[in-house]
Amino acid sequence: MMEVLNVIGYSFFVMAAGLLYMGIGRKVAARLHRRYGPPVWQCYVDVVKCFSRKSISHNFIMDLGSMMGLSGLLGAAMFIPIAGFLPFPSQGPIIVILYLMPIGYLGMAMGVSASGNPLAAIGIGRALTLMIGYEVPFATIVLSFIATYSSTGLVPLQAVQAGGIANWHMMTMPFGFAAALIALMGMLGKKPFDTMIAPSEIASGPMVELSGKFLGLAFLQHAAAIFVETGLIVLLFLGGASNVFEFIGKQAAVYIVMASLSELWARYRVEQATKFLWISAGSLALVQLVINMIIGRK
Amino acid sequence: MEPVFYELTKLAQNDQYTTYEMFFGPNHPGMHGNFGYVVEAVGATVVKVRVNAGLLHRGFEKLMETKGWFQNLSLIPRICVVDPDPNEVAYCMAAERLCGMEIPEKAKYLRSLTLEMSRLTSLLMGMGALGAMMGLYSSMYRMMTDRDYVLDLFEWLTGARIYHIYNVPGGVRRDIPDGFLAKLTEVLDTLEYNLKEWDNLVFENPVVHKRLTGIGYITAEEAVHYGLVGPNLRATGFLADVRKDDPYAAYPYLDFETPVTHGGDALARAVQVRKEYEMSIKLVRQIIKKMPKSKEIRLKAGNTLKFVVPPGDTYARVESSKGEYGYYVVSDGGLKPYRVSVRGPSLPAGLTLCHKHLPGMDISDVAIWMASYAVCPPDIDR
Repeated sequence: MMEVLNVIGYSFFVMAAGLLYMGIGRKVAARLHRRYGPPVWQCYVDVVKCFSRKSISHNFIMDLGSMMGLSGLLGAAMFIPIAGFLPFPSQGPIIVILYLMPIGYLGMAMGVSASGNPLAAIGIGRALTLMIGYEVPFATIVLSFIATYSSTGLVPLQAVQAGGIANWHMMTMPFGFAAALIALMGMLGKKPFDTMIAPSEIASGPMVELSGKFLGLAFLQHAAAIFVETGLIVLLFLGGASNVFEFIGKQAAVYIVMASLSELWARYRVEQATKFLWISAGSLALVQLVINMIIGRK
Repeated sequence: MEPVFYELTKLAQNDQYTTYEMFFGPNHPGMHGNFGYVVEAVGATVVKVRVNAGLLHRGFEKLMETKGWFQNLSLIPRICVVDPDPNEVAYCMAAERLCGMEIPEKAKYLRSLTLEMSRLTSLLMGMGALGAMMGLYSSMYRMMTDRDYVLDLFEWLTGARIYHIYNVPGGVRRDIPDGFLAKLTEVLDTLEYNLKEWDNLVFENPVVHKRLTGIGYITAEEAVHYGLVGPNLRATGFLADVRKDDPYAAYPYLDFETPVTHGGDALARAVQVRKEYEMSIKLVRQIIKKMPKSKEIRLKAGNTLKFVVPPGDTYARVESSKGEYGYYVVSDGGLKPYRVSVRGPSLPAGLTLCHKHLPGMDISDVAIWMASYAVCPPDIDR
């Protein structure tokens, strides 16, 4: 019973934290644009508003896809430990997280494709293509951890970074960290990798046919995705956290950096983005893997 | 016919691929204005395009036949919101030419000043919009700030930010307020300083280069054939500038060399616009330096409601931020124009060149193509 309550509570926390980062990101972007920008709680207002509006569903698959999208990301979030806390006992296996995350995106793909809008189909096609772009470098980084620690658990990987900044993988695995940040830009859909949304090209792509609760669910899915993706960086490279506030602070810092960098770049076309991710992030990740393999196991 | 879309069309005809129609505008974030293209696409590739114009038609030309020569001045700037002053000046020049008027020297300088200030605002919007079409919204918003500095000055000089209605047949409405030129110099310093930022953000941005290279390529011969003008034509290496070819206002007294860029693609057009922006700042500085001290800013036109223009017809043209803006005006000697026909610079690219360039293009490049050619729907729909 307690575990069920943990899962429900943790899910709400994940979505709330993700929406907070989104709000902060919007504010930061606005300030870089020389705009005042919306208040940081605007994303909460948006979600409530979306759920209070009439929704248009095209078919059952659209309903199912939207739910699957959120469930996949929330499922992945269940394995992200915050200061050692997890809703149910596990080691925070990265492989499971990497498996569950695409389920979220595939759910979204299924839902919006069922809407029949060609712009949504183009957008989701781009999102899945881009996924190939950032998953390969990120998987290579995970291999680097396996090569060194023979483990893919986030809990033990956080533990080995204890003792100060010098022990953080950001310092000990700089190439992997750089590759992870580039891949993270792609995961978060930040420019130059926001080709799946691209308002001026495909009118926001996957979101074009979403109304009411479907748009609300997409918002929440994105919030959960932000939590999982920034959480992975914090746990793998920034030493994790000893308490929830430290964790949120580090996640917010990572997201602000990503949101700020995003404002410096134009948008790549999807094939350019995938190529760039493979060449830049892929090479850096490969260099890190080779280094870790040479150094050997710890 | 280009092989790419020829193949797709053939497959579509054989029912191997299904084409679908997509409305790229008027309700599309990539479309700037009440205008649209109905594109027939296979996947994300455009196969065929149909212009969906007429949504912005306000009947300006017909309306001008029903109003007095001076009354029309409140209509004319509304033809182009972004760069309204070339409309005013071209119309006034046509009326003055038919009346045989020679406006005072200071009025000529003031006209050139407002034309160049208007060009600055328009080019800032154009450069920003091009960035926004590639997702670079920071350039759009930050350039809007610079644009607002110039609009503040317009408000001070003319009393209005957008529709200035400053130029009238016989000269201009107001003299420069005290301290205006000093403030203008300050703003020019800011604009010039910010050029470095625009270079870093847009013109030297490697992602921008990747997105713009090769998009909408056109040779100088084709550009002339299609009737392209202004920066679009000069970006093919072809030098043509109304300010030099058919000098008007104070341009004969100013020392400037119009830049050209070789390349003919979207990147060349972006670079050309940036060069023209810099040149425009320099031109305004020259105008400030050479501004006559005289107080005479317009000829007496008498009762403006009874202003008549002798019978005849003429074509007056000015170099707007997008190229040659022309007014063909016919008078029958009455209180109203008999006919006014406007030649907008966006028309060749927006209406005809799209049929050549868009088929075969990925849907992701359509908005960039439009922004690089500075297609301004009000130029097309009047």
